Amino acid sequence: MFERIARDRVATLFLVTVAVLLLVGLAAPGFLSAGTATIIWSNGLVLMLVALGIFPVILTRNIDVSGGSILGLSAVVLGLALNDGFALPLALGFALGAGICAGVVNGLLVAGLGVPSIVATLGTLGLFRGVMLIATGGEWIEELPEALKSLGAKSYGGLSIMGIITALVIVAVWWFLRSRRGRWVMVTGDNREAAHHLGLPVRRIELLAFAWAGAMYALAGITFAAQIGFVPNQAGSGIELRAIAALVLGGISLLGGVGSVGGVVIGVIFFTSIDTSLVFLKIPAYWNDLIGGAMLLGVLLIDGRLRIALEARDRAARYRRGSNTEQKSQPLEDAA
Amino acid sequence: MEPVLAELDSVSKSYAGVPVLKRVNFSVRAGEIHALLGGNGAGKSTLMKILAGLVQASGGEVRIANAPLEPATPAQALAMGLYLVPQEAHIFPNQSVLENICIGLPKPSAAYRARVEELIAQIGVPLSPDTKAATLEIADRQIVEILRGLIREAKVLILDEPTSALTPHEVQTLFARMQALRAAGHGLVFISHKLHELRAVCDRITVLRDGNVVLSAGMDQSTDADILTAMSPGVTELEARGAGKQISRGVVLSLDALSGEGFVDISFEVRRGEVLGLTGVVGAGRTELAETLVGLRPRGSGDVILEGQAFLANSPSDAVRQGIVHLSEDRQQYGLFLAAPLFWNASSFVHDRLPFFLRPNAERKRFAQYRDMLGIKCASPDQPAGSLSGGNQQKVLLAKCLAAEPKLLILDEPTRGVDVGARNDIYRIIEELAAQGTSVLLISSDFDEVVRLSDRITVMAGGHVAGELPAGATPDEISQLAFEAQEAEHV
Repeated sequence: MFERIARDRVATLFLVTVAVLLLVGLAAPGFLSAGTATIIWSNGLVLMLVALGIFPVILTRNIDVSGGSILGLSAVVLGLALNDGFALPLALGFALGAGICAGVVNGLLVAGLGVPSIVATLGTLGLFRGVMLIATGGEWIEELPEALKSLGAKSYGGLSIMGIITALVIVAVWWFLRSRRGRWVMVTGDNREAAHHLGLPVRRIELLAFAWAGAMYALAGITFAAQIGFVPNQAGSGIELRAIAALVLGGISLLGGVGSVGGVVIGVIFFTSIDTSLVFLKIPAYWNDLIGGAMLLGVLLIDGRLRIALEARDRAARYRRGSNTEQKSQPLEDAA
Repeated sequence: MEPVLAELDSVSKSYAGVPVLKRVNFSVRAGEIHALLGGNGAGKSTLMKILAGLVQASGGEVRIANAPLEPATPAQALAMGLYLVPQEAHIFPNQSVLENICIGLPKPSAAYRARVEELIAQIGVPLSPDTKAATLEIADRQIVEILRGLIREAKVLILDEPTSALTPHEVQTLFARMQALRAAGHGLVFISHKLHELRAVCDRITVLRDGNVVLSAGMDQSTDADILTAMSPGVTELEARGAGKQISRGVVLSLDALSGEGFVDISFEVRRGEVLGLTGVVGAGRTELAETLVGLRPRGSGDVILEGQAFLANSPSDAVRQGIVHLSEDRQQYGLFLAAPLFWNASSFVHDRLPFFLRPNAERKRFAQYRDMLGIKCASPDQPAGSLSGGNQQKVLLAKCLAAEPKLLILDEPTRGVDVGARNDIYRIIEELAAQGTSVLLISSDFDEVVRLSDRITVMAGGHVAGELPAGATPDEISQLAFEAQEAEHV
């Protein structure tokens, strides 16, 4: 039992999260409640959507650090459209379109022109933020209509509309990765040359991963604007690094080809839980980064050590089995 | 005459103005196995990659089933019924064997499980479809790649040196599968450096040299001498080594009841200036033994004595310092720094003997010595190692090993995937090294090679020493020893 959990990063992290929450519950009575759960979910929505966006990009062994800028750009497109009198559904469409266009630009740079993804998205990180600032003239966008804010308000059993949409996205990604095409995304990151050799459209897969990421950043931008009711200049700034940290924590390999939706969800929830707990424990918010970073390193180090130990044991067991036929009756004694 | 399934019509290819293929014609008919032969750099691999859509031709036309290959991509070639099993296996390490084989097929992998299991059983390899591919040995990866080709039932199947990592038994079953495909009207292209293998199954032969077709005939109509002359004029036959010399010099390395991962209770000695052949079938524990000696794997019980002193290496570089240099069979992982200049590669094993401020010209000079000694064909010592052909890369690896001035050189499959010309050079180098007093532990699955080079032969099977044979033993004797012990193990 212990071993199965130790082998599974998602299970390990789930238990650590539960342990942290229980400890906080002991220290701050009233913390453990359904209300706290909905707060954590709602506080984590933006990070969750950004992480879900980067997830397929990292699976294909690329990286996208322009997420925060695309989030900001989409939120600004949304705000400007609404303040210009466009209807909400139309404005949402514009925001989503802006996100997808930005994602396609990233995708064309990487899959089309062959620019390394870190270089391409570092460039567009500045580019999209610049476009956003020019569009607003450096001003904040305020007085967003109530109709938008209601998307972020908790209305259905403690869940907002954006919260429900995010849950549906998670299910959709889970389902997609189980499909034949979903497997294509995984193997493209595992060994791109092999995927090409076997006739998979690797460039199209990469392009679509970036386009998907853009769409998710746009959803995150919409959620962001709906939750706080205005769009500041630095909207989304730096969130891509937090999302990547959450993915790494959830067992998604930066080398591509490895990771699960469960890992994404638990990684994000872990980070959000810590932030929320600190509020309950009345620790000043400026401690968040330090504590979050320390927990990230702690979990990764322990997990890494555990994995090395288990692998060494597996290998030893394999060779014991393979090379020593006369000792075949031994395992019984070992078990006893 | 059977219909032509795939055809290259006066295809040319040049890289940066250097022609690799010069108006080559090549065709595969239904129901034939077509042998393709040529030295390293002759253009075989490029030719087949053009046929498979992996490389674009600079001129000429590629036709599959009488239709031009348009666009020239692997996806299109697959759709038109052509699959290339490449020389180096392309593996998805994080996926199962089943996924590795079935990815890209029209149905989900589970639909092909029964067929994959059937093929695995037919070939007779102990391979589970659910194993994670990262844990597979090189030979098993090659088998996965071959299974990819077989399950696709491509109308045209190209096999680029598929037998280099297989045991004789597996080679026979692969041949049986190939013959079954031929009988069913498929066309196959078989690339190999081993003439007797080509003779066993092929109907037609095409020999390439320097990008030209120099021989194209029925297999029966060409003698071995014809083929070898066509390939590399001047080399008529692999020269045999003088009969095993009596060696009475001191012991360099002795193993006493050494155990570790994959082998138990191994004892043998290597004398000064001796080539000890360590052979057996894949999975016998030879590679594991070598990797344990140089500290890549944890060591179990037993003693290792190097020149009278207890030897224990924590890492390959530790082993180098103490005088044992290991050339791994896994050239992709432990091979060259492909983007680095040749002379860097040559001194990469001895980096701790270089001065703090490097003297590149001294290193270049040193490399030039090895270049002349080993016959490495290159334009300059500053050329990136990745720009050389496979045989030349292997020689650079040898240069890197020799630069460490080893007392004992462990060579694991030194000629796998190397053409006849370069193979001859490597044999000559091994003999010269031994004559100069370096001891060589030669690990090889190629029994002919072991017989040719070794002063003594130790045969391993199932992790044990199955027996020792003197020089002059025949490949059949080795084979008997290796397989009998294995059979006994399985019962």
